[in-house]
Amino acid sequence: MDKFLDLFRGSVNPTVRVEKRFSALRLLIAVAIALFIAFLLMCTVSENPGKDFVTLLVGPLTSKSRTISIFNKLIPLLFTGTAVCLVFSCGQITTACEGAFYFGAVAATVVAVIPGIPAFLHIPLCLLVAAIAGAVIVMIPTWFNVRYGVLTIVVALLVTNVFVFLGQYLVANPLRDPTAGFEASYPFAESAVIPTIGIRHIHLGLIIGLVLVILGYYLLYHTPFGVEIRTVGNNQKFSQYSGINISRTAIVTSLLAGGMAAMGGATEILANYPRFVFTGTTNHGWNGIVIAVLCKNNPKFVPVAAFFLAYLSAAADALNAASKIPPEIINIIQPIIIIFVAATQLLSFWEHRAIVKASEKMLKEEK
Amino acid sequence: MADRKDLIERVPFGETVLSMEHITKIYDNGFIANNDVSFEVKKGEILGLVGENGAGKTTLMKVLFGQQTPEQGTIRLGGEEVHITSPLDALSYGVGMVHQHFMLIDSLTVAENMILGAEPGKGILFDVKEAERQTREVSEKYDLKVDPTMLVKDLSVGYKQRVEILKMLLRGARILLLDEPTAVLTPQETKELFAQLKKLKEQGFSFVFISHKLNEVKEICDRISVLRLGKMVGSANIGDVTEADISRMMVGRDVALSIDKKKAQPGVPVLKVRDLSHVNKFGKFAFKDLNFDVRAGEILGVAGVEGNGQAELAETLTGLEEVQTGHIYVNEDLVDDLSIRSLREAGVSMVHEDRMTYGLSKDQSISENIFSDRYYKKEYLKGPSLDLKQISQRSKELIGEFSVKCDGPKAHISTLSGGNMQKVVAAREFSALPQLLVAAHPTRGIDVGATEMIRKKIIALRDEENTAVLLFSADLNELLTVSDSIIVMCEGEIVAYFPEASAVDEQTLGEYMLGLKRMSDEEIGGVLHG
Repeated sequence: MDKFLDLFRGSVNPTVRVEKRFSALRLLIAVAIALFIAFLLMCTVSENPGKDFVTLLVGPLTSKSRTISIFNKLIPLLFTGTAVCLVFSCGQITTACEGAFYFGAVAATVVAVIPGIPAFLHIPLCLLVAAIAGAVIVMIPTWFNVRYGVLTIVVALLVTNVFVFLGQYLVANPLRDPTAGFEASYPFAESAVIPTIGIRHIHLGLIIGLVLVILGYYLLYHTPFGVEIRTVGNNQKFSQYSGINISRTAIVTSLLAGGMAAMGGATEILANYPRFVFTGTTNHGWNGIVIAVLCKNNPKFVPVAAFFLAYLSAAADALNAASKIPPEIINIIQPIIIIFVAATQLLSFWEHRAIVKASEKMLKEEK
Repeated sequence: MADRKDLIERVPFGETVLSMEHITKIYDNGFIANNDVSFEVKKGEILGLVGENGAGKTTLMKVLFGQQTPEQGTIRLGGEEVHITSPLDALSYGVGMVHQHFMLIDSLTVAENMILGAEPGKGILFDVKEAERQTREVSEKYDLKVDPTMLVKDLSVGYKQRVEILKMLLRGARILLLDEPTAVLTPQETKELFAQLKKLKEQGFSFVFISHKLNEVKEICDRISVLRLGKMVGSANIGDVTEADISRMMVGRDVALSIDKKKAQPGVPVLKVRDLSHVNKFGKFAFKDLNFDVRAGEILGVAGVEGNGQAELAETLTGLEEVQTGHIYVNEDLVDDLSIRSLREAGVSMVHEDRMTYGLSKDQSISENIFSDRYYKKEYLKGPSLDLKQISQRSKELIGEFSVKCDGPKAHISTLSGGNMQKVVAAREFSALPQLLVAAHPTRGIDVGATEMIRKKIIALRDEENTAVLLFSADLNELLTVSDSIIVMCEGEIVAYFPEASAVDEQTLGEYMLGLKRMSDEEIGGVLHG
């Protein structure tokens, strides 16, 4: 919210003001362009594109269950969004949170199918085991990077595959319930099911996720370790020269991020399903990357960005139910927005002109 | 294209060949680099374009060379308006530029560098013989000797510059823009360059000579134009002004060209370097068997042509490079294996020569940059959290004390000018009240005001905190005025030690820097104090 208010507050330096204005403008334009392209695509498949476009915009608000589904979809994104903000802040561009989310769910399942553990212990135990597994998964690529100079993202993609296949093996063999009519694990013990918070489909994960968002923000911007994370992410040579231990910072941050993403996977599966049913990765880690880019790696904005993605997803569902439009069309919107938000040169011609004007004005005032 | 070159060719000797009128250039960060600037160059003259760093000299030349698009203004060659949109465009008109940092590829030969961008070919193959022939031809024509087959990485700085100038001549440049050509040269090399320029001038070449070394401007230029804060202050024939006049025009006030400084009161050695050697990644010695001391309350200057081991020495002393052989002691404690944080805690501060990469993190705030070496210390914490209020308060104090021009402690480093950036580095390193300060080129590329302040602060540290200072600088004037004593490095070895900096002159330093002279081991050994 600060950032938003800053747009209207005066900065001494007019250039900073112009830059902020154009940064916000770029986001709006990105959304507009993405919606427009989605509309064009809808025209190719829909008989009534006008009506379907309205469904896309307001569909999620047309019924209570749809509105609730927005919040249900938002919960796991709080975990992965914050996790990716953390690990991106220290400069590790990794996709391993996707693997951590998936395998976190698997690891939680291993504990959740054990009967006879009291509820107050069972859920924390599931989350803890998931967090440890996820921490290791995100740490591996980072370790290769700081130790051997391998590109983090290359190892991350490989490691994710390894753990997805390992997860699929576990679910298809030791965890498989032969009495189920489809490939799934044994049902979770009653004591491992994450309860709702009074509203159907809105579970305790919302509270845990929001706490993690706050902790993530606090860690990054209010603790000495957060200074280290951001300094390492901004300029490694400067960090080294300042006396910061780069490897330690990157490894610890990756452990934390992996733990968070995996806890997201664990709450998602334990709250919404009676047994493990994921057949592969779920895209939550990728969406975490989208969120981190939108938030410029500041967890403070994660709830807003997560809401936006959840809303789009709910809109896709609404559209799918109301028309023949495949949800893939809506999936196109996300990457388009990211491309335009990341395109810092977008509007650079007008931005330069505005800066020139502001500078000239300041020059006149000085005279 | 031939008619383009004609614009310059047809101008008679002594007439205006180039004029820039009402040029305004504003950068994307809002910085007004040129504000309604006009000046002209006559055929066969050397125009000195002088001004402090950041006054807009380089920007003006980049506009002329097609590397920057101005907001307003016109460029005329031989009276006709031209639109120069790229360096190739500029060259086609006969305008060439020699950059401050050489635009040469180290792994290629002289001939290959010379024809880069206009490679002669036999079909699709590159014709090496033709390239060498062209190089030889132009080299003989203008009497600037180069060997076309040498690799650029084996050349001295002065030699590289000759290649750059020849490269422009080969491309048919008739007006040459020289951006601080002497900044990297020794006095002897500078003399040679000036002789070459005078020869070319007589053949009808015109030059814009950018510099802020007034004695050189006085020696080589016919006229000067002075820029200050992006505006043209005025032009004058060189015979009509004194060095003091020029400096007043540059700064807008009288500047003290020397610094008031008490005589040093050296105490015990704080830094002791013993038998220190460093082999670089190419397997060559960067420096070899160095032995020297820096005493408390003493500023020891290190002179040397760049690339003679100073950079590696500074990085080794500050922990950025590992100690390979030999030992370093700070206050008698062996510090060879200490981490940078431990070194800093032992009272060592460091100003790195590359402030944009090592010295600062440009996308972080001023206060985070000032606190990057101390944010974790107990006095800045409140429980597990940072005491942001106190950090902000202390940052404000330091911003005031070091007069950093900015929007406040939260402003990003990238919004500051070069001089103010360096003040932030100084604010961090000097406020740590170090026992040993290793400062590498602390005033390089910053304006006179900031330079003066940083030099005074270094001397204040020496006097008030009894700090031992090791000062690396390519600016001989800085070494002579700020240092108490000086060592000279050449090819990785100490070749001279002057216990009294005030008793040396630039000429003498230059002779040792170039390896023309070397003191006896006994004289050099004077730098050891126990």
